[in-house]
Amino acid sequence: MARFEYLEAHTVRQALSMYRRHAPNVRYVAGSTDFLIRSRMGNWNPEYVVNIQHIPALQRTSFSRRNGLRLGALTTVQTLQDHESVQTHYPALAAAAASFAGVQVRNLATVGGNICNASPAGDTLPALLAFNAQCLSTGPEQGEQRSTALDEFFTGPGRTVLEPGELLTEIRLPRPEPNTGSLYIKHSPRGAMDIATVGVASAVTLAADRRTCKDVRIGLGAVAPTPIRAYAAEGILRGNEITPESLAACAEEARNTASPIDDVRGSAVYRKEIVGVLTLRTLERAVEMARDGTMAFETQRRLAVQAAF
Amino acid sequence: MKRHLNLTVNSEPRQILVEPYYSLLDMLRDELHLTGTKKGCDEGDCGACTVLLNGVPVTSCLVLAHSAHDAEVTTVEGLATREGLHPVQQAFAEYGGLQCGFCTPGLIMSAVGLLEKNFDPTEEEVRYAIGGNLCRCTGYTKVVQAIMAAAEQARP
Amino acid sequence: MTTEHNVLGRSLPRVDALDKVTGRATYAADVYLPDMLMCKVLTSPRSHARIVSMDTSKAEQVPGVRAVITGNDFPDRYFGSGAVRDRRIMARDEVFYIGEPVAAVAADDEVTAQEALELVEVEYEDLETIVDPLEAIREGSTLVHPDMPNFEGYGFAMGGNNCTLLDADRGDVDQAFRDANQVFEETYHSQAINQGFLEPMACAANVEANGRLTVWASTQGPYQVRAQLASVLDIPLSSIKVNAMELGGGFGAKLRLAFEAFPALLAMKTGRPVKLINTREEVFTLNGPRLATTIHLKTGVTSDGQITAREAHSVFDVGAYLGAGPNAGVGHALGAYDIPNFRLRSYGVYTNKIYVGSYRASGVADMHFAVESHMDSIAHQIGLDPLEFRLKNVVKEGDANVSGASVPANGLLETIEAVKEKMSLPRKSEEGRGIGISLGEWRSGSGPSTASISVNEDGTVSLLTGSVDISGSDTSLAQIAAETLGVELDQVIVAKRDTDMAPFTGPSGGSRIVYSQGKAVQMAAEDARDRLVGLAAERFGVPSEALSCEGGRVYVQDNPPQSLTLSQLAAASLTSRSGPIIGMAALSSMPYAPVFNTQAAEVIVDKATGQVRVTRFVQAQDVGVAINPMGVEGQLEGGAVQGIGRALSEEMQIDPETGRVRNPSLSTYLMPLAIDMPAIENILVGVPSADGPFGARAVAEPPGFGPPAAIANAIYDAVGIRIKELPLSADRVLAALQGQDGDEYHIDVEALKKAETG
Ligand SMILES: Cc1cc2nc3c(=O)[nH]c(=O)nc-3n(C[C@H](O)[C@H](O)[C@H](O)COP(=O)(O)OP(=O)(O)OC[C@H]3O[C@@H](n4cnc5c(N)ncnc54)[C@H](O)[C@@H]3O)c2cc1C
Ligand code: FES
Ligand code: FES
Repeated sequence: MARFEYLEAHTVRQALSMYRRHAPNVRYVAGSTDFLIRSRMGNWNPEYVVNIQHIPALQRTSFSRRNGLRLGALTTVQTLQDHESVQTHYPALAAAAASFAGVQVRNLATVGGNICNASPAGDTLPALLAFNAQCLSTGPEQGEQRSTALDEFFTGPGRTVLEPGELLTEIRLPRPEPNTGSLYIKHSPRGAMDIATVGVASAVTLAADRRTCKDVRIGLGAVAPTPIRAYAAEGILRGNEITPESLAACAEEARNTASPIDDVRGSAVYRKEIVGVLTLRTLERAVEMARDGTMAFETQRRLAVQAAF
Repeated sequence: MKRHLNLTVNSEPRQILVEPYYSLLDMLRDELHLTGTKKGCDEGDCGACTVLLNGVPVTSCLVLAHSAHDAEVTTVEGLATREGLHPVQQAFAEYGGLQCGFCTPGLIMSAVGLLEKNFDPTEEEVRYAIGGNLCRCTGYTKVVQAIMAAAEQARP
Repeated sequence: MTTEHNVLGRSLPRVDALDKVTGRATYAADVYLPDMLMCKVLTSPRSHARIVSMDTSKAEQVPGVRAVITGNDFPDRYFGSGAVRDRRIMARDEVFYIGEPVAAVAADDEVTAQEALELVEVEYEDLETIVDPLEAIREGSTLVHPDMPNFEGYGFAMGGNNCTLLDADRGDVDQAFRDANQVFEETYHSQAINQGFLEPMACAANVEANGRLTVWASTQGPYQVRAQLASVLDIPLSSIKVNAMELGGGFGAKLRLAFEAFPALLAMKTGRPVKLINTREEVFTLNGPRLATTIHLKTGVTSDGQITAREAHSVFDVGAYLGAGPNAGVGHALGAYDIPNFRLRSYGVYTNKIYVGSYRASGVADMHFAVESHMDSIAHQIGLDPLEFRLKNVVKEGDANVSGASVPANGLLETIEAVKEKMSLPRKSEEGRGIGISLGEWRSGSGPSTASISVNEDGTVSLLTGSVDISGSDTSLAQIAAETLGVELDQVIVAKRDTDMAPFTGPSGGSRIVYSQGKAVQMAAEDARDRLVGLAAERFGVPSEALSCEGGRVYVQDNPPQSLTLSQLAAASLTSRSGPIIGMAALSSMPYAPVFNTQAAEVIVDKATGQVRVTRFVQAQDVGVAINPMGVEGQLEGGAVQGIGRALSEEMQIDPETGRVRNPSLSTYLMPLAIDMPAIENILVGVPSADGPFGARAVAEPPGFGPPAAIANAIYDAVGIRIKELPLSADRVLAALQGQDGDEYHIDVEALKKAETG
């Protein structure tokens, strides 16, 4: 337990002004799942906490075939898991949500918090990368807004491009392409309540012939200082025919892209090995889904956690 | 400094004086002495502190008490009615879904949360739904049986 | 046999079920007393250091702080949790591991106490550190406790860092090895393990108006806590009352004094109640876990698969203090087998890390992994089916066990048969899928046990024992009492007890409660029954033998309507010659009654990631008689899942340089979750024990031993690799699949032998 004062904002403007008033010893909290842990460990000791959880403008979630998916920063991970449009059009994201902690944490944790916390192992991040997510944020001074590609959002473990006091407001995912399949697989010792040893999301769009890879995006988690895209690997597949060999070559390249570390959750050597395996598995499933249309969510969920294969 | 907080706990409106940095769990235990909700880790990892917050299960150690203003909180103490135990409580007792009992309130709340959403769960869904609850004593076999039996009971 | 019983053998809900499902059961942390202070403990950040100076003045000045204590505030005394007194309750001038308590604060609330701790200034001077037990046992190694030979209780050992040496010998081992057709040698290693109980230890203490100290503890052994507390505080045992609160799991960790002395001393200093609740991190760093063990086995086998000799050398890391006696596991180096010649040695070695504690048959569990993996390995190497090889060598009734006692009738073979049938063994394995088995032996626990039973005027029965319910034992004890007295379970009231009220009882551990304590309850109930029958006999004018006590009445066998209810008898007893009905019993030990268990695990191995999943787990155990089958199954299931956790994912990672616990949280110390576990399948075998209550045997320990070996053997069956180190984590399995040699641990057996003779 550590002491702090509690402030609560009900609008974005209010949050920003509370921040300005108490900077620099102030921190936003949304679901507070990361915050309370760090606070108790003594890593974060703000004097003031600005709770943004009750700002209605950040709670909205919408989907349309034209505009794609818009997620208010406060969208909970459980909402991502349960949302029909997410399950149907962005299955890798729903699967990532399903692999996340347990239901009690998913009901609290927000997608904005997952992004701002910028853990290399954040489960929603590889999937959001694979869907080319854009982050909308509002600066603390004049309330200036900007949009940053998620791929450029992270600058290091726990670090992002956000300026002090800048608030992440919305995450936008472009509209789904037809003939697309995607899946996230998390490797962890247990089937729940684990931080990913490695997490991989792949999204594959097939050309009309259903054999050629029109587009592919691969997000990797827990294998570098930040979640990353495996661009080189994507390049191997994009525009080429899907064959066991081309998928394997792509996975091998993803493996080469990874630069993991040793920690209590796994060795670098092991992580590197697993990146290749998971990339191949997510690609294979994504291709299957792109060909067959959908996959029952139960199946996605089952596949999402490697421990429970 | 302690500040007032208004919320509903087990269907009773309450006004409570709480420190700004208190978690919902600490508030329930230290201020209301509702000690049925357990602290097994204070880190979100064990599920012993699970309560329903506006109807959905959350680990109360990860919730700021003041963020729960105007919310409805249900703890294990709020499940039984004058008519008797909640079917989930009944089933845990009958099927041996508890031993030391320390995880039990949290497991029961997770199960209640599941059955509110899905009254006909498969065994796999039950195991998934209690994925955030550690139990060191039972090995889960009888816990799962109990929840399946409670679901059967509760089905219309 | 069970059909004759009325209450016994029925899966009745636990007597404490209602309290627990409604959240009303009260654990130590749930104690709130008026004006209560909260306690926090400061621990050493150094592995081994001299305390040069300590200054608590700044901490004492923090508003809300009521007292600060250090090691100097305790009487100058050593105490021991194992055989030797090697430890102070709080460090005085030297610390021996990271996490050793050095000071404690009592303040108005937890935050204030925590803030004050940070202001306690301690100056340390680092000393040489030794963390690796295999290095620590070598001659000339840095010494953890140079003054070890002076420790009270120190007995025979080799000196150096070796604080205990247990041995067992029979026959001419060297000759038997020469005579064997083949000799196999292997080294196994098992990891440090946390007990993982869900309730962090907690304790509240208060000085009563009469000057006595009341302690509300989370403990398996209230009388042990009382005695050790009296010793470290240097106050009379009679001035302490220990309330054993509802226990949220202990598994051995809560058998002895932990840190109850801190809130106790602070309560004595402040005159106010003081409560201490461990954080989860402290569960890992303040209280003794099971530590790593390395075991070298050597086995001689004849050409037809008969074992002729076994040699075992096991090195048990005990950390900074002998907090338990894990190397007693040496007796299990034979496994459930009849081996004519053996030489068994086990060493307890001091190192600079958290001291060892007990956990569900510590030592035995480590030994079991080694022995049952070794058996499997030998079977494959000599081309015998693993089950067949075991059957050739299993102990039978009348064989001598490791200590020479004759093995009584038991259900070992039945357990093997039952598992064989349920798993359809032998079964042809498919690539990537395998089945492994393991057999285990345990002895029903013994030790001082007492019980008293009184019959109330309304015919209900009050049962008082001093034992803590750790396993549903209260329910079993109540069933034993109910059965003996011929009443229903709900007619039995199990008293909540404390050390003032209930007579001395040994701690709840080692699977002794139902076997030993249950026997005492049975005897007390018989005593009460005899008195009821005697009274009725007097009233009816018939001999006692003509009467039966059943269905809540005592009646004349030849004329059942001629009867008196227990209620009538209890009421009558108040004015009878012999007075109110009370039955009592006490015993100090129980005869040897083995418990055998056979387990089989079916696994899938993901060859690309090394991930192992247990898809089925079947176990059969000879429980003698199941007093409450649901309770027995619950014990078996829980034990099995703990064992599966130990097999696959649990490990206390200890820094090899400093001895620090690197993963003191439940997000890094990975215990099994429901989502990863199969439904456990149990078969209860019943070969009654000669002396247990109604023939019952112990239950709780054996199911936890077997899973690591069963799973390792299943992995071998699935993919042909033998892993000799725990846990069988995905990275270790993958490395082995890729052909990397996993043999990381070596015991220099020759050096140990030389040290022993030299
Ligand atoms: C038991 C447990 C299990 C977990 N399991 C997983 C898991 O499986 N996978 C996983 O990825 N993570 C996991 N986490 C981590 C955590 O839950 C996630 O990172 C979560 O998404 C954080 O969201 P939050 O709303 O709770 O963030 P908070 O704790 O409220 O905030 C986290 C950080 O982000 C900042 N922040 C939050 N929202 C905004 C915003 N809109 N604008 C600017 N800054 C903001 C805060 O200031 C803070 O620094 C787990 C955590 C716990 C305690
Ligand atoms: S106490 Fe909240 S999850 Fe463990
Ligand atoms: S019953 Fe003890 S932890 Fe679940």
